[in-house]
Amino acid sequence: MSGMLSIYAFDELWNLANTVRYGLMALQHRGLQSYVVCSTGVDVECVEGSDIDVAKSASGHVAIASIHNYENEKTFTIQRSNEYSVAIVAERPWRRIDDFALDLVNVLKTSRNRVEAFTNALSNLQRDSEDVVPSLMVLTKDKEVFVWRSHNGFSPIALGSYGFDMAIAASESVAIDILGGDLKKFLRPGEGIYISRHMLKTFLVNQADAYNGLCLFEFLYLSRHDAIINNVSVYEFRKALGYDLGKYLDKEVDVVVGVPETALPYAIGFSSRVGKPFEVAFVATGGRRRSMLASNPFEKIVAIHLKMNPIRSSLEGKKVAIVDDSMVTGSTIKTVSQILRFRVGVREIHLFIASPPLIRSCPYNVMKLDMQNLLAANLSKELAKSYLEVDSLHWLSIEDVDRVARMFGLRFCGRCLGVNVIGGEEK
Amino acid sequence: MKVLIIGSGGREHAIAKLVRRSSLDPKIFVVMDYRNPGLEREAVETGGKWFVASTTSVGKVLEIANELSPDLIVIGPEEPQFAGVSDALREKGFTVFGASMRCAEIEKSKVFARTVMWKYNIDGRLYFKAFRDVEEARKFIEFAGDVVIKPARQAGGKGVKVLKDTQAYLSKDRSEVKRSYVDKLFTEMSSYRDIDYKIIVEQRVEGVEYTAMVITDGDYVLSLPLIQDHPHAFEYDIGPETGGMGSIQGPGWVLPFITFDEYRKTIEIVSKVLKALYMEIKEPYIGAFAGQMMLTGVWGPTVIEFYSRFGDPEISNLVPIVESDFLEILDRAAEKRLAGVKLEINEDVVTIVKAIAPAGYPDDKKLASNHPIYVDENRMRELGCEVLYASVELGSNNMMYTKGSRAFEIVCSGKDYEEAYRKSENAVQYVESLDGWPLFYRRDIGSRELLEDRIRVAKRVREVYMARASNGLLGKVLIWLPGEGVIENPLIGFVR
Repeated sequence: MSGMLSIYAFDELWNLANTVRYGLMALQHRGLQSYVVCSTGVDVECVEGSDIDVAKSASGHVAIASIHNYENEKTFTIQRSNEYSVAIVAERPWRRIDDFALDLVNVLKTSRNRVEAFTNALSNLQRDSEDVVPSLMVLTKDKEVFVWRSHNGFSPIALGSYGFDMAIAASESVAIDILGGDLKKFLRPGEGIYISRHMLKTFLVNQADAYNGLCLFEFLYLSRHDAIINNVSVYEFRKALGYDLGKYLDKEVDVVVGVPETALPYAIGFSSRVGKPFEVAFVATGGRRRSMLASNPFEKIVAIHLKMNPIRSSLEGKKVAIVDDSMVTGSTIKTVSQILRFRVGVREIHLFIASPPLIRSCPYNVMKLDMQNLLAANLSKELAKSYLEVDSLHWLSIEDVDRVARMFGLRFCGRCLGVNVIGGEEK
Repeated sequence: MKVLIIGSGGREHAIAKLVRRSSLDPKIFVVMDYRNPGLEREAVETGGKWFVASTTSVGKVLEIANELSPDLIVIGPEEPQFAGVSDALREKGFTVFGASMRCAEIEKSKVFARTVMWKYNIDGRLYFKAFRDVEEARKFIEFAGDVVIKPARQAGGKGVKVLKDTQAYLSKDRSEVKRSYVDKLFTEMSSYRDIDYKIIVEQRVEGVEYTAMVITDGDYVLSLPLIQDHPHAFEYDIGPETGGMGSIQGPGWVLPFITFDEYRKTIEIVSKVLKALYMEIKEPYIGAFAGQMMLTGVWGPTVIEFYSRFGDPEISNLVPIVESDFLEILDRAAEKRLAGVKLEINEDVVTIVKAIAPAGYPDDKKLASNHPIYVDENRMRELGCEVLYASVELGSNNMMYTKGSRAFEIVCSGKDYEEAYRKSENAVQYVESLDGWPLFYRRDIGSRELLEDRIRVAKRVREVYMARASNGLLGKVLIWLPGEGVIENPLIGFVR
């Protein structure tokens, strides 16, 4: 899923190049393939590239930007017509993005009531059962920004401010922190915000009939530990899942370790439940890499290998409970178990996964996974244990996650787990 | 009793409404800069009269006062005080409620206010440095860190640049803005001939803001309930600084996020400042005085600035709750007989004030001016809310036009925040732009979400200041310059 960012400085004295750069850096863990930065000088311009230096193009006081993983799929556009122009960045690939941008160019060129024009254009998008409209950020030639969280937006959108000077909207709250801003609120499904030099207005456009919730992977994997989503601490949620997972321990273990680095809070929660020490087991080389987000299988395995140099002394000869946030193809766990067995020499490995088995591919293309690659959809538990060389294998059940989600007032899309929704009403 | 009110806006309309209820049979007379329909009506309905004249013109105001010989004159805004209107009227023997020119210096000059606080060692003071000369300011700003840049003179509650600078990686950009802003501000401030310092650079603090207003006769200090204003133009405390987009009060004397101890401490600070001011200028302070405060981790109650008058819109919150004879209180203050006076308020209600402004406010007055606007006062009254007329002018065609600032203040009260909030959200819809020009107000003011957020922030800073107090670090900001030692100076940035 993309990481989106909008910054509006109310004072024209600002040059946002560096601000956009560090804002994007704070969202970088969400995908490292491509950056897009759109800003307005005489006209709206977008610059795309694989280097964060594209942020240099945001030399004015208004900008929208995104980072994304998607190759050959459209997550941004810029459309011009009749001397007017509009740029859009989307949360995930959207095939109607160009058409919608053209619609917007036409209505915004002449409309006095900007918010109404925008909401009408959104409402006029013909319902198309194949198409689910993603969350959007829009920049117009008149230096206005629209930020809208779709009913089918699977990432949160956080709104923040910097002094009297800036409004900041981002897919993850950490971007607001890193820019020295204050987190103000999270957009609700269907809620949008319009920002211009003399106006800031929220609005509501409900496109779909049902709200499915956030993507579970936002909480499980994608967001940083220090992120806040819908006023819930990602770190605390991860610890709570790990704590719950501890109830499945039915063998004696000596230590608890987490697969770096996303799974560390889960392992901490697990350890506090089972009363066994949490140990640091692996040290990464070359900075943080998101192995799960790599689309090229070779790059993915390289990323995994670079993350996993073991600290032998903490594990050798021990019975190890290893905790991970999720298991998709199993390639990370296979690597880990091989390292633990052959390089370290542990006695037993008990594997605990802090989410239910992934058995369907994502219908919204958020996680690009084919059914045939999903371990849980293709291997029996016994076969999986043998392949992974673990002594036991445990998952959280859908009911477990549902209960924890309700405790935090969260609601998730559960399509990849075989259910529509997990959790209760969003707080 | 003949009462002459000097001033044109929402604050004066609130004063008029409070005065009108008096048992002293008030006849209200008004001198205003433009035809404020609300003030006009209060005058006419009480059997008084209204005059359109420059409220900062000593001569004009004197002339009208001489003609009327009022029993009491109430000066609403700060600018007539700065211009010496109160002094001239007192000299001619009138009974005047409103700070003298020299007393009002505490609002006019932020340098004077800060200097007094440091000289008399009053708690809640912030570090600052003031500049007369642009070159000197430019040089200083190169090395400035986490600071706020302000005009050194009161300039309509605007012009404050808060530049949080705690991230070295963004420090250069902020430096750039500081530099450009210093130049811009010097240019803007050069039109004020009545001050020597042009800009002031202050230590930045964060926390929750609130206003502590008092009435004083130079001796006795009568404190009013705490009120919280909302300076950001837009919802969720986003956007440019305004004179205040609305305010909340109650229930009772404190706000839900300020403790009684903090209230007492605040009033102690405000009273000490009044005493110090007397030591400095040897003139009694007669009128309203207010501390724009912030509860911070550095000090607990901390002074952001002072007003030599009632806060606007803060005074509007008092309209539904004051039970005492407000006119009598103002009169006794003006006659230096305030001692022993008690203010009775309805402690069981909360009040919410919401300002409605035309788009363009606060940064483009021209854009925000001359739009026809309408308010359905009857419907508002049915809801139990009151309308205060602020920056609106009655045209010769009897239509109302915006004057570029906040047009109306809508005052609603209720038994709790939920009720007052519901009423005020209903009431704002009865203001209408007649030419389609967009109006805006802040939906979030008085909402449960915002209140909860304030409580959270206050709790956090309370932890901090109490811990610092127990370590003897209250108010201190220490930095270590190797080779020079540990000094107190929070104004220096990452690059020294």
